[in-house]
Amino acid sequence: MTKTSIKGADISNKKGITEAILAFLEELLSLEDFDAVLIPMRVPSEDSYAWVLVNDENLLREADPVAPVMPVQGANALSSCSRKGEGNIRIAALMRPCEVRAAIELSKLNQVKLDTVTLITYDCPGALPLSDYIKDPVNGEKTFDSVLAGPGRDVESVKQVCRICDDFSMLPASDLHFAFYSESSGNILLIPGSKKGSALLKKMDIEPSVDISSWKENIEELKKEQIKRRKERFKKVKGMVEGFESLSETFADCIGCHNCQSVCPVCYCRQCYFDSETSRLDAESVLLRTESRGAVSLPADRVMFHVGRMSHMSLSCVSCGLCTDACPVSIPVADLFSYVADRTQDTFNYRSGKDKEEPVPLKTYREEEEKGINELVKGAEG
Amino acid sequence: MPKEFKPKIISFLCKWCTYSGADLAGTNRMKYPASILPVRVMCSSRVNPVFMVKSFLHGADGVLVGGCHPGDCHYQSGNYFTRRRFAILKRIFDTLGMESKRLKLSWISAAEGAKFVRVTTEFTEEIKSLGENPAKKKVFL
Amino acid sequence: MDQILSIDKGAEEGVVRLLKFLLENDKVSGVFTLRRTTGKGFFDYALITDPGLLEDAIPLHPFMNVNGGKIISSLPPMKKPVAAVIRPCELRSFIELVKRSQGSIDDFLLISYTCGGSFPFDKTLKDNGRKLLPGYWKAVEKGVDPDNIRQSCASCEHFVPQNADITVSLLGEKDLSSKCLIYLHSERSTAMTEEFDAEISDGQLDMKRFEALLEKRSEQKEKDFKEIKIEDSGLDGMIDLFGRCIGCHGCMRVCPICQCVLCDFESCAYDPDTSVIANELPVRGGVRVPTDTVLFHIGRLSHMSFSCVGCGQCTEVCPADIPVSTLFRKTGEQVAGIFDYIPGRDVDEEIPVTIFKEDELSELGND
Repeated sequence: MTKTSIKGADISNKKGITEAILAFLEELLSLEDFDAVLIPMRVPSEDSYAWVLVNDENLLREADPVAPVMPVQGANALSSCSRKGEGNIRIAALMRPCEVRAAIELSKLNQVKLDTVTLITYDCPGALPLSDYIKDPVNGEKTFDSVLAGPGRDVESVKQVCRICDDFSMLPASDLHFAFYSESSGNILLIPGSKKGSALLKKMDIEPSVDISSWKENIEELKKEQIKRRKERFKKVKGMVEGFESLSETFADCIGCHNCQSVCPVCYCRQCYFDSETSRLDAESVLLRTESRGAVSLPADRVMFHVGRMSHMSLSCVSCGLCTDACPVSIPVADLFSYVADRTQDTFNYRSGKDKEEPVPLKTYREEEEKGINELVKGAEG
Repeated sequence: MPKEFKPKIISFLCKWCTYSGADLAGTNRMKYPASILPVRVMCSSRVNPVFMVKSFLHGADGVLVGGCHPGDCHYQSGNYFTRRRFAILKRIFDTLGMESKRLKLSWISAAEGAKFVRVTTEFTEEIKSLGENPAKKKVFL
Repeated sequence: MDQILSIDKGAEEGVVRLLKFLLENDKVSGVFTLRRTTGKGFFDYALITDPGLLEDAIPLHPFMNVNGGKIISSLPPMKKPVAAVIRPCELRSFIELVKRSQGSIDDFLLISYTCGGSFPFDKTLKDNGRKLLPGYWKAVEKGVDPDNIRQSCASCEHFVPQNADITVSLLGEKDLSSKCLIYLHSERSTAMTEEFDAEISDGQLDMKRFEALLEKRSEQKEKDFKEIKIEDSGLDGMIDLFGRCIGCHGCMRVCPICQCVLCDFESCAYDPDTSVIANELPVRGGVRVPTDTVLFHIGRLSHMSFSCVGCGQCTEVCPADIPVSTLFRKTGEQVAGIFDYIPGRDVDEEIPVTIFKEDELSELGND
């Protein structure tokens, strides 16, 4: 299927995005091919959202497909209901593009089984910072309504990483995509992105017959603006991480709680290397450090934890921003990691979560590596 | 016609005493309720209080822990710890306003087949009067 | 009767002098205390072995970014004890950890102080904390609660340290900017400070002066407990309280008592299993994933609540602002009450779940 021949199905129903998506998912759930839909729902206390694997249509009606906040990464939620056991639950997962990308990465790392999962994305307007929403959920809902209404992308109320996100729309890996960033008249298009997606639409008697080129153009325009904003932001971030002085200052407030690692979808190790015996501060380390510096900062090795985590997972970072949301001392972890990740991924011409078949660069090699890495190695050799 | 409530009571029974007591009830053809779902453990102190919490939150209508009488533990002192842990869990449930009546600790020896029948029958009736565990239908646990 | 050292310097300066003396004269192998890290208002805990670096020390600052008791328990023993300046709650945490074989009292010269409380994270990041200090010390001198301290501090009844070698008297001392009063409780502390230059007298901390504050704190504690309506909560209340929990386990990670290398709830034993989820789906109609959010908290309560010292780090670290500390402290007090146990009171008082009495709790198991 070449790009130019893809068409979308108009599923607008004049009742808005949420209604249109829910109506589609309700129909999908009634098919025998699915056991459940993975979708965000407002929690009973009405002060946040949680991922729910929904099996009952009445419950589905109460869901919020495009939630104002992303407290838990969708890929983590998906991994927890597909990684272990003989359950084989056939899931239609409705997630943000960064969550789908994380799911793809995790599938390469054996943490998500995608054969029984249908991945559905939508044009993501971004998400609000979690702490802002929790402080005032009523206001948070209002703010997000206007974020969703547009026009264009909000650059004030959403998370910093969302303001500079250039991968907010359909992915090569989506099975289906809800397109609503369309210039014309608020149409909602449902676009198949894979054989699985096309087959599903066929089964549901939904005919993709609408030309999607005006939507595509609009998305490309928006992407250009996002890329510009990203470059601007990264100029600032560069100053925050370049050189040991800046790096230490940026992480000076860090308390070593490891929340960032805990919520990160790609950090899936049951026991993080930096929590293991190997990383424990032993008598010899204390002596060496105190002898040479006169003091040891405690908890020890907080900067090393971050740089170490970068070296372990930056190739798979999807810039979802959960790390910043989870940080209790407001360090902009996501900005820093995104910046580094963009560059490490560039080294291998790799894009995290883009292609199910493309192996994570550290799991493979070429005898003759591409230019980028050769130059890096040469540079390091001095 | 409403379906009759058939409670599910996850029962952690110590192999040396209570589980044998249950066996004795069986061999003597004494009937005890089908609500009891036995899980044999080597000692009642094997039971991590979280087993009881997990059973409860995953929908068990009742949770029973059966062990040897204090002083008779096959491993000398295991059941003393069980008793403390149970007291703690019960206090936690009470503090949180959760139904601690759904948790039960019972000392039943290998010779007390009749006691096993009595305790399980009474507990089943109590659970029936408490009704189904509301945790069964909760989505946001 | 304690020996009292009186120094004609401000309280913090006096403490730094003492620490310098101990380090320079090889009485201790190192000093564990808070210190400034850059000129820009950042701070952290450090193990200092170079007396020169003590000029950056801020031992009494009301900033607790990590629980000091938890940190010192992770330090390997050195040739001589390490002088550690920690809050009463951090000291109690350390005692609880010592009972769990995570450290030894002998490895430290424990220096604590009568504590006015510490500020929440959002008030101490970057340089914000400095502005609050003058007001803070004025309140401490008056022996009242400073404005804006943590909720867990405003309701803390254990602000007078129990097991320290040395206590610095702060609460209710008329002039903390020009006088430092240090109470030496242990033989070790008197021996180590023999040649220290200070006025020496005898006396004991006047506990009467703390009565008013204690009453206020207890009232506040009851208010806090009532506010989250624990007894009325029930299962639905727990679901509401943890509705916005994101399962990051930060609370467990920063908790001084939670010292398991691999937490039970992160181990294979509690891994979500798709067959369980698949079985529950048709019954519940929907299953929140990842599963077992409420289980984690109730489970953690059953594992450690009786040792909870109410330091409040869990609430501070929570990305969803859940009042974890209030819940754990209330429940912990209820549970510890069964055995008349008070965490951190006495290093020889054994943890309730590690001991038993043959004759107790006879109301359980016999019906």
